[in-house]
Amino acid sequence: MLIAQDLHITFNAGTPIETRALRGLSLEIPTGQFVTVIGSNGAGKSTLLNAISGEVQLDRGSLRIDDVELNRMPVWDRAGMVARVFQDPLLGTCEDLTIEENLALAANRGERRGLKRALAPQLRTECAERLAKLGLGLESRLGDRIGLLSGGQRQAVSLLMAALRPSRILLLDEHTAALDPRIAAFVLDITRRIVAERQLTTLMVTHSMQQALETGDRTIMLHQGQVVLDVSGEERRRLDVPHLLKMFERVRGETVSDDALLLG
Amino acid sequence: MSWYALWGALEIGLIYGLVALGVLISFRILRFPDLTVDGSFPLGAAVAATLIVMGWNAFAATLVATIAGALAGAITGWLNVRLKIMDLLASILMMIALYSINLRIMGRPNVPLITEPTVFSVFMSDNLPDYILRPLLILALVALVKFALDWYLGTHSGLALRATGSNPRMARAQGVATGAMVLIGLALSNALCALGGALFAQSQGVADISMGIGTIVIGLAAVIVGESLTNSRRLVFMTAAAIVGAVLYRIFVALALNADFIGLHAQDLNLITAVLVTIFLVVPLLRQRIRDRKRP
Amino acid sequence: MKWTFPSLIARIGAKSRVHQVATAVVAAVVLASVTSPPVHAQSVAVTSIVEHPALDAIKDGVKDALAEAGYTEDKGLEWQFQTAQGNTAIATQIARKYVGDKPDVIVAIATPSAQAVVAATKSIPVVYAAVTDPVGAQLVPSFEPSGTNVTGVSDSLELERQVELIKQIVPDARKVGMVYNPGEANSVSVVEQLRSLLPGMGMTLVEASAPRTVDVGAAARSLVGKVDVIYTSTDNNVVSAYESLAKVGNDARIPLIASDTASVERGAIGALGLDYYEMGRQAGRIVIRILKGENPGEIASETSDKLALHLNAVAARKQGVTLSEELRNSAAHIIE
Repeated sequence: MLIAQDLHITFNAGTPIETRALRGLSLEIPTGQFVTVIGSNGAGKSTLLNAISGEVQLDRGSLRIDDVELNRMPVWDRAGMVARVFQDPLLGTCEDLTIEENLALAANRGERRGLKRALAPQLRTECAERLAKLGLGLESRLGDRIGLLSGGQRQAVSLLMAALRPSRILLLDEHTAALDPRIAAFVLDITRRIVAERQLTTLMVTHSMQQALETGDRTIMLHQGQVVLDVSGEERRRLDVPHLLKMFERVRGETVSDDALLLG
Repeated sequence: MSWYALWGALEIGLIYGLVALGVLISFRILRFPDLTVDGSFPLGAAVAATLIVMGWNAFAATLVATIAGALAGAITGWLNVRLKIMDLLASILMMIALYSINLRIMGRPNVPLITEPTVFSVFMSDNLPDYILRPLLILALVALVKFALDWYLGTHSGLALRATGSNPRMARAQGVATGAMVLIGLALSNALCALGGALFAQSQGVADISMGIGTIVIGLAAVIVGESLTNSRRLVFMTAAAIVGAVLYRIFVALALNADFIGLHAQDLNLITAVLVTIFLVVPLLRQRIRDRKRP
Repeated sequence: MKWTFPSLIARIGAKSRVHQVATAVVAAVVLASVTSPPVHAQSVAVTSIVEHPALDAIKDGVKDALAEAGYTEDKGLEWQFQTAQGNTAIATQIARKYVGDKPDVIVAIATPSAQAVVAATKSIPVVYAAVTDPVGAQLVPSFEPSGTNVTGVSDSLELERQVELIKQIVPDARKVGMVYNPGEANSVSVVEQLRSLLPGMGMTLVEASAPRTVDVGAAARSLVGKVDVIYTSTDNNVVSAYESLAKVGNDARIPLIASDTASVERGAIGALGLDYYEMGRQAGRIVIRILKGENPGEIASETSDKLALHLNAVAARKQGVTLSEELRNSAAHIIE
């Protein structure tokens, strides 16, 4: 269960380029819920994810996962609880390491890394099994450097890596945005499968309103560092993109002009 | 070239092989440009020589020298991680500081070991002349170090080290404390260089304050020559290649020393060595280009 | 061996066939170059740590002394010279190469080269030159005949005579400043000796360190106002950058006294120095004795006794010193 209370984050405070990214954002995500997040550029979506993962420190407010206060914890100490897939496929994996070495890294996420052999035979079999389920033929290429894979393949592996070990929350940061449509659809499909299989609490940022409504259990919309819309259940099922837009305008008294948001 | 000179090149090359392994860890694996080695190589020599002259057992002295190198590397890492000083700058600061530290340790700029017992003294026998025995001993040690390093890099901790250099942001997201890994990596790298320095001093008979100048260049040259030998990115081959590169470099120097028959002089030694190394790196490339152009 | 070599290279992933061939060729060249050395009537191998006018003069002195005694390349002398470019690893490889060549005598100029050679051989005769403290450097146990394969010529200066010169040029001097490289063994040795010698003669030593040649000027400036005279040894850094020292001496009117005669032309008032060419000839004479069959272990280490006083009246004027008649008369060379 993730509880965010009154989060405030300001970049470059006191300078001409001061940006108030989060302005008192509060959010509660019960365990096992799949939440999609939309919003225009600068709404605070990435900042929210960075705050949860620990890459950005809170100025004010509190962030808890299952009663554990995350406030001053560095990224690596939270990693046991927080799994993440980045938007950039190159960012989520280590180019110089092989597929199985990347998976071995992910298999120890959040655990003490001692002097036991990283590529134990048990791990290899487990990885081969999981990779086979992707249907990409990667299970026979375990020894290949991951830099040789395409963006879509790397993203699929990143997803697998994030789900390899249990996490309290899975953060998906526009993870299909950099892929071409066919591959993006494939990765999204795997995402749904994996999340459902493991019952993962998930927070997925997406640029597409359509995708946001069709995936997961609940959709929130961020605007100027706050949650302005929060729909789930029956209300959400009956929603389509134009309706969503009208709701937004009503709440905020503004028109949404971001093309990408509308056309997605 | 005499057999004696060849064995000499092998001996010095293997010692610098340790430096090459250290540079492999910092430059290639951690992606940390670490100039500390210009200071930690003579640090190892200074500590070992000073302790030996004070009467310590040569093996214990060499061990302490290695630990001193680890400490130096850890301080460089600390300057970078804790004090947020840029990596290259932190290593330069440490390198400069070590000059004075080494002078302090030795008490003078030059500590001779010609008449002192060394780690090699124990093994001296009448069956094998010492100019062959020493390189063989060093070969055994370097092989041991190489296999230990290969093993370590295959563990979870070693994998975390590699991830820290390859993609620190992703490593952190996987729970790797990258700051600690940088410290460990630099400590390991400089420990190896200090070990090399300690052995070099005992092999050549003196620890001199100026013996560190240019160590990083030799280490990098060794790593690069080694990389030109093998395409493989497998660590087991990369570590071997670095050692072979170091030995090859010293053989090039030995060859260059014998180049007076072409009419070259003593002053040309550095130039000749550079040319030899370049030829080795470039000729295969040129011939490949010629072959490609010939294809219809 | 060749049929297994390519397969070995292939297994470790060497690049192309061409590269395999290149590697094989290099290996073949290296192995083919390993031969026994050719036989000459006599062979002398000389090495120095760097190229330096003083050190080069020694090499020339050795060669000339040999030539005058009838040992020339026409008459079957094999002469080799290598410098280590300031690098101790190369000095060691040169030492190994020479030992492998089995010459009749190895001449090693300057402490690091001498140490590398002495560590590399206990049988081939070694003649060192321009080593200030051969005992401290563990080349020989004392200045008596060593009983080993090592002998040579040390360039240590009798410091009492140097201090006497200081008193002759600057009679009221109480504080003597010294600029030196703390990383040069010879200089450190001189500093230590002066520190204990000067108080007995009513003076104290004030030190300023210059680890690199570019630090010499700054070190000199740090002594301004604190010393009555600046004395320097044959420190490599100081000798290389004497002009920056001279500038400070002239601007601040501090008398400069050097240990080598070449620096007198460059701005020192005077120096009671060694002639390094003569030292080379002295070493050459020892080499000849060994070539004629003497055992190096029975030849005592020598110091150079050929000291010459050089004076620079122009510098004296600039730095506020009048040279006495007595001093002028005892000088071998005066710059006006």
